[in-house]
Amino acid sequence: MNDYSQMWQTALIEIESAVSQANFSTWFKETRIVKELDGVVYLGVPNSFTQEWLYKKFHNSILRILRQTNDQVRALEYIIDKENNSKKEEGKRKMVSAPTISMPLHDFYINKEDNLNPRYTFESFVVGPFNELAHAASQTIVKAPGQTYNPLFIYGDPGRGKTHLIQAVGNKIKKDLPEKKVFYLTSERFCTEFFAALQENKANQFKEKYRRYDVVIMDDVQFFSGKEKFQEELFHFFNTFKDTGRQLVFSSDRHPNVIPGLEERLRSRFGTGMVVDLQELDQESRMAIVRAKCASQNITMSPEIVEIVSSSIEDNIREIEGVVNIIACQTQLKNRELNVNEIKNILKNNTRPKKMVSVKDVVRVVSDFYNIDEESIYNKTRRKEVVRPRQMIMYLLREDFGISFPSIGEKLGGRDHTTVIHSYEKVREEIKKNSLLAQEVSQLRSMI
Amino acid sequence: MKIEIQTQKLKEIMRKIEHIAGKHATLPVLSCILIEYNKNTAIFKATNLDVGIEVVVPIKSENSGLVAIPAHTLGAFITQLPDQSSIVSLEIEAGNVKITTPQSSGVIKTVSSEDFPTIPKISEGKEVEIDADIFVKGLKSVWYSSSVSSIKPELSSVYIYNEGEYIVFAATDSFRLAEKKVKSLKTTKISDILIPFRNIADVIRLLEIVNGTIKITISKNLVSFEKDGTYLVSRVIDGVFPDYHQIIPKSFITEAVILKQDFINALKISNIFSDKFNQVRLVIDPKKKIFNIQTKNSDIGENKTLVSAALTGESIEVNFNYKYIADCFQSIEADSISLQLSGLNKPMIIRPVSGDQTFLYIVMPMNR
Repeated sequence: MNDYSQMWQTALIEIESAVSQANFSTWFKETRIVKELDGVVYLGVPNSFTQEWLYKKFHNSILRILRQTNDQVRALEYIIDKENNSKKEEGKRKMVSAPTISMPLHDFYINKEDNLNPRYTFESFVVGPFNELAHAASQTIVKAPGQTYNPLFIYGDPGRGKTHLIQAVGNKIKKDLPEKKVFYLTSERFCTEFFAALQENKANQFKEKYRRYDVVIMDDVQFFSGKEKFQEELFHFFNTFKDTGRQLVFSSDRHPNVIPGLEERLRSRFGTGMVVDLQELDQESRMAIVRAKCASQNITMSPEIVEIVSSSIEDNIREIEGVVNIIACQTQLKNRELNVNEIKNILKNNTRPKKMVSVKDVVRVVSDFYNIDEESIYNKTRRKEVVRPRQMIMYLLREDFGISFPSIGEKLGGRDHTTVIHSYEKVREEIKKNSLLAQEVSQLRSMI
Repeated sequence: MKIEIQTQKLKEIMRKIEHIAGKHATLPVLSCILIEYNKNTAIFKATNLDVGIEVVVPIKSENSGLVAIPAHTLGAFITQLPDQSSIVSLEIEAGNVKITTPQSSGVIKTVSSEDFPTIPKISEGKEVEIDADIFVKGLKSVWYSSSVSSIKPELSSVYIYNEGEYIVFAATDSFRLAEKKVKSLKTTKISDILIPFRNIADVIRLLEIVNGTIKITISKNLVSFEKDGTYLVSRVIDGVFPDYHQIIPKSFITEAVILKQDFINALKISNIFSDKFNQVRLVIDPKKKIFNIQTKNSDIGENKTLVSAALTGESIEVNFNYKYIADCFQSIEADSISLQLSGLNKPMIIRPVSGDQTFLYIVMPMNR
């Protein structure tokens, strides 16, 4: 750096004597040598006007003078110098409005460089039986990215912490191994970026961009389903990435084998590393999560309330988070701890109602579906058009609602439990053979 | 050497370019207008090294040449010419230009045109066409919020980007922020660009004169605006505008809906008694249906002005800088506005409640 400025100072003395004072102060005041590479000197100038003018008027003289001091110089290039621009006028005006609080504009919520949300860390991740395995696999990756499980594929229903876990992987790698470049994106973004690149004929730039990273984390890959062109791109991306020993992390809402419309070659590639699921949340984990959220919100909850909250929300951390936030907000508002009734009220208003289905409802839906009289299900009739729906009801009651055989029989007009067992098994067997029947069953299930 | 040009044309050119020629102390030629002419056309040029402008006009001349005339003198002379005089002739002699109209004539000293800089052209850039009025509306709605200090270049500029069918203009000096969305009629999308605040006035002035559809070309270092032989080029800031969306409050605890004019009047009265920081205190109590503005200055006195408003939410008292609030009303056409507060030390949102809702303004409170 010092060499450059020395070199330029010497040159400037020469130039100053060669041009008029006015010209010198207008065009040369804010210039500097930014770098020198293979005999090419890069001259930093404040704006395009200076760039054009120096090139047009003084190019040869500058080059000649530079050669006098250093015969290695072959060529001269001009670049617009960002730093120079900001220095002007500094301190000239002071903000009179000092007491106004300034906006936290630079606290990027999401880091633009790597797209990671700094809030998602392992420290704030609650480990329980349902995510132990996924957590352990992630920890292994963090220690040596690209060397153990590659790719890591995490799947699970919405609200079980997939995004938190994979972003935590990114944040941890960023922290522990700063030389590794991490990038997080959703599969949707991958598609839109690729599509835009295709439209502008810049597919190569797109590929280049992702080759810069050592770890790429892609969320929600189930959205690739049915998008063949993008799958192909992902496939190539996958291969180049994995071959060069760089880490890939994927998440999806289901196992790669059951994502519909996914090409076989991608499916098998997703499975080559480690596929691990986030299971259903158990009661203890839910309680742990509620406590963790309370701690981060700085509120305290009695064990009784923790119990109520965690048992009323079944399988979605996001919902737990939402409810805890509401409780925190109301606690602050009322300036006291909420009582059990108030909590129950909040829960009632803010959780999805649990489905309450009675035997009667099932009977009604099924008999509507087959267009028969509801009463006939309970009667002793063995007409063909009634027998099949009745068997279907028994099957559904047993399979989906786990009601015991004797009580199913009793509720459907006092039938023997062996009749129910027979019907249940018959339907079960037939579903396997008859796809039409299987379709009927799934249709009925969605209606109940 | 003699150039003949219509008076009307010359006046229009001067309106477009005179103010761009700067008062450059070190290089006198920069305070001049350069006329580059041949037999049928002339190009009028002016630059202050931040912005450059060129206007091509048809003229009559016997030959071609170059002349640099001090912009201020030429401009002042031309503006005073009566409109009915049809033709102005410029006779260029060594060191002088003789201007003759049917009514008057004058001799202006010229400057050596040799040092007049080249006005850069954009060779590789993205082009987009847009209605000048729309673009001016966007710029005018936000540019006063830019930072006047150039310590952070990206804040002393107006940020323009594309969002769906809208072109979004945003500016902030970190104490307040203005955002305006305008519908882009064309399908081509404008790429992200930061135009320096200092050049915005020049852009607005030109676009207000030209109106109609203009062509904007954007490259890494420059942006140009073109329309019928008029070409304006400005430096752009090579930087990243802060991700301001994250500071826009998603919810609020107190809202006041008021008539814009009532609020402006009340603020003006209050401001007479404000301290040297222009501090005004907004006191809102929805339960008691009270909204007043309080100011206090130990040297002058104090004031409390009531504002009639529809209030909801919690009671709150927050201090603001009068100037920051007052600035935004120029961008709001609606009669009523909504003030949304989220608590102490949290930003306040001001937005129109009826009609055109594409404007958003955020002010930070004062911390005492």
